[in-house]
Amino acid sequence: MDVDPRHYDLVGINENDIHNVVLSYLVHNCFNETMESFIACTGMKQPDDHLEGMEKRKRIFNFALDGNALKAIELTNQLAHDLLEKNEELYFDLLSIHFGELVRSRKCSEALEFAQAKLTHFGKVQKYVEKLEDFMALLAYEEPDKSPMFHLLGLEHRQKIAESLNRAILEHMNLPSYTAMERLIQQTTVVRQCLSQELGKDTHAAFSLKDFLES
Amino acid sequence: MGGVEDEEPATKRVKLSTEELRGLSNGSSLIEPVSGSSSDLMARPLSSEGDEEVVGSKGVIKRVEFVRIIAKALYSLGYKKSGERLEEESGIPLHSSVVNLFMQQVLDGNWDESVATLKKIGLLDESIVKSASFLILEQKFLELLNAEKVMDALNTLRTEITPLCINGTRVRELSSRVVAPSQFVLVGSHSQDIVRAKSRSKLLEELQKLLPPTVMIPERRLEHLVEQALLLQRDACPFHNSLDKEMSLYTDHQCGRDQIPSQTLQILRDHSDEVWFLQFSHNGKYLASASNDRSVIIWEVDVNCGVSMKHRLCGHQKSVCSVSWSPDCNELLTCGVEESVRRWDVSSGECLHIYEKAGVGLVSCGWSPDGKWIFSGVNDKSICMWHLDGRELECWKGQKTLRISDLEIMSDGKQIISIFKENAILLLDRETKVERYIEEDQTITSFSLSRDNRFLLVNLLNQEIHLWNIEGDLKLVAKYIGHKRARFVIRSCFGGLAQAFIASGSEDSQVYIWHRGSGELIEALPGHSGAVNCVSWNPVNPHMLASASDDRTIRIWGLNELNMKRKDAHSNGIHYCNGRT
Repeated sequence: MDVDPRHYDLVGINENDIHNVVLSYLVHNCFNETMESFIACTGMKQPDDHLEGMEKRKRIFNFALDGNALKAIELTNQLAHDLLEKNEELYFDLLSIHFGELVRSRKCSEALEFAQAKLTHFGKVQKYVEKLEDFMALLAYEEPDKSPMFHLLGLEHRQKIAESLNRAILEHMNLPSYTAMERLIQQTTVVRQCLSQELGKDTHAAFSLKDFLES
Repeated sequence: MGGVEDEEPATKRVKLSTEELRGLSNGSSLIEPVSGSSSDLMARPLSSEGDEEVVGSKGVIKRVEFVRIIAKALYSLGYKKSGERLEEESGIPLHSSVVNLFMQQVLDGNWDESVATLKKIGLLDESIVKSASFLILEQKFLELLNAEKVMDALNTLRTEITPLCINGTRVRELSSRVVAPSQFVLVGSHSQDIVRAKSRSKLLEELQKLLPPTVMIPERRLEHLVEQALLLQRDACPFHNSLDKEMSLYTDHQCGRDQIPSQTLQILRDHSDEVWFLQFSHNGKYLASASNDRSVIIWEVDVNCGVSMKHRLCGHQKSVCSVSWSPDCNELLTCGVEESVRRWDVSSGECLHIYEKAGVGLVSCGWSPDGKWIFSGVNDKSICMWHLDGRELECWKGQKTLRISDLEIMSDGKQIISIFKENAILLLDRETKVERYIEEDQTITSFSLSRDNRFLLVNLLNQEIHLWNIEGDLKLVAKYIGHKRARFVIRSCFGGLAQAFIASGSEDSQVYIWHRGSGELIEALPGHSGAVNCVSWNPVNPHMLASASDDRTIRIWGLNELNMKRKDAHSNGIHYCNGRT
């Protein structure tokens, strides 16, 4: 279609498309109750067997987020038995979270044993060495949250891993690992930045979604 | 570097005598028993002769420092009793008692005590104390790990090492070490170089490097100072022509003229006519001489530098003007004037091949550096190259060449050097065909290439010898004058240790020797009774020189015997001989 970018507001939008975008977002993030309400309100078709999967994924995600990596691993293995074998790095990240929790609760000798049993063999592979050393270094500090690696013990780190795990599971179930919403926002950001560069408005800052939403 | 410099006036010091104990680690007066010495004699006043602060005529050596490094040297040599006695007699302890205690604690592995003692040494700034503590605690940590006391080691790391807040990278490495002890080392990580704890004495050495030298005298300080002096002497030696092993502590090293061959040791009379050319083989074992009597003699050099005839090579129909040794010294090329080139076997004296070209005469000869082919200047102004078996390899003819005589090839086998015009030398690259020229104002009579191929020595008609740098841009770097040349071709050569000298023949029958760097004429050696045509310096023995003369003799020159008798005879197995008749 030959629309002038400045008149983007003339583009037609299908109501269904919007519903699907929202739905995929809810499914991805396991908001099952919200999803049921939404479906009821919009009269959409319920997605096939997502419900059960969603429930399980939700639990796994929350365990990971809370730092209960071992439980998350157990459930993941039940749900998708060879997933962690195929995603070695993810497995490593989850184990590291458990290690981190042990260190955080000052259980040093347990942490040490766990590391020796489960983590050190990763050290034979070059790409894990630095991460491994980062985690091991936590042991040297009596107050690990004050160490240079404190971020490894934080919520943000666990959130990142939990999200990776979620995506891996979705992929394993042959479902999209990224939501339409995410993709759309990412693409919009890039397009707007390109446009503003092209049109020479280099006084503007890069496209900010936050500002856009507030405007 | 952390040492306390004395600010107090000298008088005060003299009054207090040795209780000052200057140069010690802490500035406070230190009258404690020196734990290094076996007796409990305290610092006592010195005898009257030695109370000055400085020793030596220049007033730059501090007594206390001097005694301390001597004591240290005594201990390192293993003379413990002497070291202790010195400390006692001089009243100057090698280390203060605090430092002695510290060192002992480190060697005994009393880590925590040693860290505490470290702080008592005083004088050290905060960062040194921390770094030293870190080293000590790291050793404690590693020794615990080696003893498999993992939790203790971890504890040390957490409670003692990390709180120092230095060297975070090392802390990281040590952490990894706790988790992965020696049986499996993390791939690619740095823990690979902390596999085992080092020895405690090594630790002490590292600590000593960290601490100011006044606190702990560095290892081998006295040896270092002496070596420094010797090397400076050697570097300042103007006529350096002797081996490092001969340097002695008893006198300042100076080669002087007595290291330059200046006395005739032998006169070889076996030629029946003028001797025009001679050259030592590359391994210094043989000498070849070429004569107007159409023969070439191969001489053998024995271990005492005596020269005796090995073979007389006959066959040339004309006078022999030059020879060339094969790279492995097993064969010799000889060239008859405008005649042929012959190849001879050195051990049997047999002629292996004759190289000639119909209708023309060869004027010079040389070997390729790999010994596989030979080249020769031809009187039709070309340069010809043959395989050893006589097949012609290549023939180079220049357009502007007026004549070809002397020929040399550089050790890369690529560049050929030749006189190609009265006053010019051509440097030809065989591969790239690039030609470079050295041009002189005077006629060039001969030239000689240095062993490192970087310099060319050029003899001129006007009795000057010029030294050219032929690496990169051609540059004249030195001139040597003094010898005489009127009618004949006179040759010169490089020689001596590192080819630091230039020697030349002369029409006044003397052998001339210059110092290459300064251009100074060192010797003009009389002896021959006719023009000296050529000289050759033994490449392996810097004290042996040979000269060829119109008086039909060859003289072998060596060191002046009188001086040699005075020196120690160091026999070191190489061709190094003292003067001998």
